Amino acid sequence: MKNIVIGRYIPGNSFLYKIDPRTKIIALIILMVAVFMLRSLIFMLAGLGLIMLLLAIGKISVKRVYLGLRPLMFLLIFTFSFQILFNTQGTQLIDVTLHYTVLTIPLIIALFFFWMYTKKIIRFKLLYFFFIVSLILSVLIFIDVGYTLNQGALTIYSQGLEMAFFIMLRLIIIVTLSTILTLTTKPTDLNLGLESVLKPLKIFRVNTEEIAMILAISLRYIPTLLDEANKIMLAQASRGVDFSEGKLKDKVMQIVSLLVPMFIISFKRSDELANAMEARSFVPGRNRTRLQTLHWSSLDTVALSIAFVALFTSIALRIFV
Amino acid sequence: MNSIEIKNVSYQYQPNKPVLQEINLTIKKGEWVTILGHNGSGKSTLSKLIIGLLKPKTGEINVNGIPLTQETVYDIRQKVGIVFQNPDNQFVGVTVRDDIAFGLENLQIPREEMIERIETYARKVNVLEYLNKEPHALSGGQKQRVAIAGILAMHTDIIIFDEATSMLDPKGRNMVLETMKQLRHEGKTIITITHTMNEALLSDRIVVLKDGRILKEGSSQTILKDKTTLEKSNLEMLLPLKVLYDLEQENYTNKRIKDLLWELSLNV
Repeated sequence: MKNIVIGRYIPGNSFLYKIDPRTKIIALIILMVAVFMLRSLIFMLAGLGLIMLLLAIGKISVKRVYLGLRPLMFLLIFTFSFQILFNTQGTQLIDVTLHYTVLTIPLIIALFFFWMYTKKIIRFKLLYFFFIVSLILSVLIFIDVGYTLNQGALTIYSQGLEMAFFIMLRLIIIVTLSTILTLTTKPTDLNLGLESVLKPLKIFRVNTEEIAMILAISLRYIPTLLDEANKIMLAQASRGVDFSEGKLKDKVMQIVSLLVPMFIISFKRSDELANAMEARSFVPGRNRTRLQTLHWSSLDTVALSIAFVALFTSIALRIFV
Repeated sequence: MNSIEIKNVSYQYQPNKPVLQEINLTIKKGEWVTILGHNGSGKSTLSKLIIGLLKPKTGEINVNGIPLTQETVYDIRQKVGIVFQNPDNQFVGVTVRDDIAFGLENLQIPREEMIERIETYARKVNVLEYLNKEPHALSGGQKQRVAIAGILAMHTDIIIFDEATSMLDPKGRNMVLETMKQLRHEGKTIITITHTMNEALLSDRIVVLKDGRILKEGSSQTILKDKTTLEKSNLEMLLPLKVLYDLEQENYTNKRIKDLLWELSLNV
């Protein structure tokens, strides 16, 4: 559990690390808008190319970005399959019959269980998953032996295929952009940047300094609370709670046995922390000077200009193409 | 000049369950006073009253001659620093540098002076090399010294150590005690709140609390030998002193042995 680092900042020294966090946050927003402006797959591919170029110049390994994408893999696969199977616009590309026979159904089930039990030992899980899926599909398409129970049709349309790739690419680009931000910005800098980016909200009487303080303290206490959770899990395990397995009902009990002490401890902690902060002359909402300051450099101006160029280009593409 | 005057102060968290009753205590400038008491004797409550985290039910508190009220509490907090028991729960910053800066930022000290003070006091408590470290990379003793640096940097006249050593290992405790001794030489007013004798021994004066009342008050030398008071307040006497006391009961007269035992207890 100790390995969980929120934001996953990886120290480095490329130009991406030297850009002011405010610039990065604003540029991220601008580029996201730009990505949403794009309407065709070719432009999206070009966008992906630009992102790859950014990664290469910024010396960020694609593997890190992939790790950031991994939690979204399910969503990516889901939207991709959804578009392919249910989007019926454009010309028909593929139309095959799926044979559900007394032979193929057991074969699929066997393949499924085979996958369930072997996926733990295979290294490239995603690749393996696609391999099994294609195996199942080819079984259904090509084996037409035995008594046929049912027949289905697999039809893929050109628009469906295009949209599937389009949406998937858009998701990948957006997640990659935000991953670049968190990979190259220290949590404290990110917090400072966020605070000054949010400053205009002061007109609406939003206390941005307090938001920043809350964020900073959350960042500070994540490792401490993870430590605490570890200790509680060990303590509960020594009293017989098994955190590794169990049915849904047991799982709920396990989580309760972890959450209740965590809540109590967190409240106690925050009470003590509030006392310590007040004792050190902290008054919520009062002006404070800052030790950490941000510096705007010419690099930031350049970076922001490039982001704006990207935005205007995508707007122009939307209007004229 | 008096640093702190506590006059007739009482406090209760719940009705009819007083935690502190009719406390009268005066602490002079530059004095080191220990407030000694068992768990639940109200000693931590007293420290929270002095810094205005709690408001006394009756009585009044003066700090540096200024009465503690709603209006003056923020000024008084600039005069009084407090180091709490749990080093983890008073570490506000993400790094050591940020944490020492926290109090200074609150006092609206300009950035250049902040940087200067952080270095000065980090060097003083010997955490200079850890300035960029995060709290979970530090030991308890180191974290507690960071907390002390954070208070020192705020230039407070009075420093309260509220069981500041009770969660530390012997090495960490000694480091903190050394810092306290150094502070006494600089003329700071120190209040230590504790239930261990070794710490109490270092101070000029001991105030023994029991069930929210002052049981006894006197120089550390007299209180430490006062067997009846210590027994009444469930406190353990230092072993060499215990021996010394027993010898005195037996009318033992060898001055050399007695001196030796006294010396020994001072170096526990």
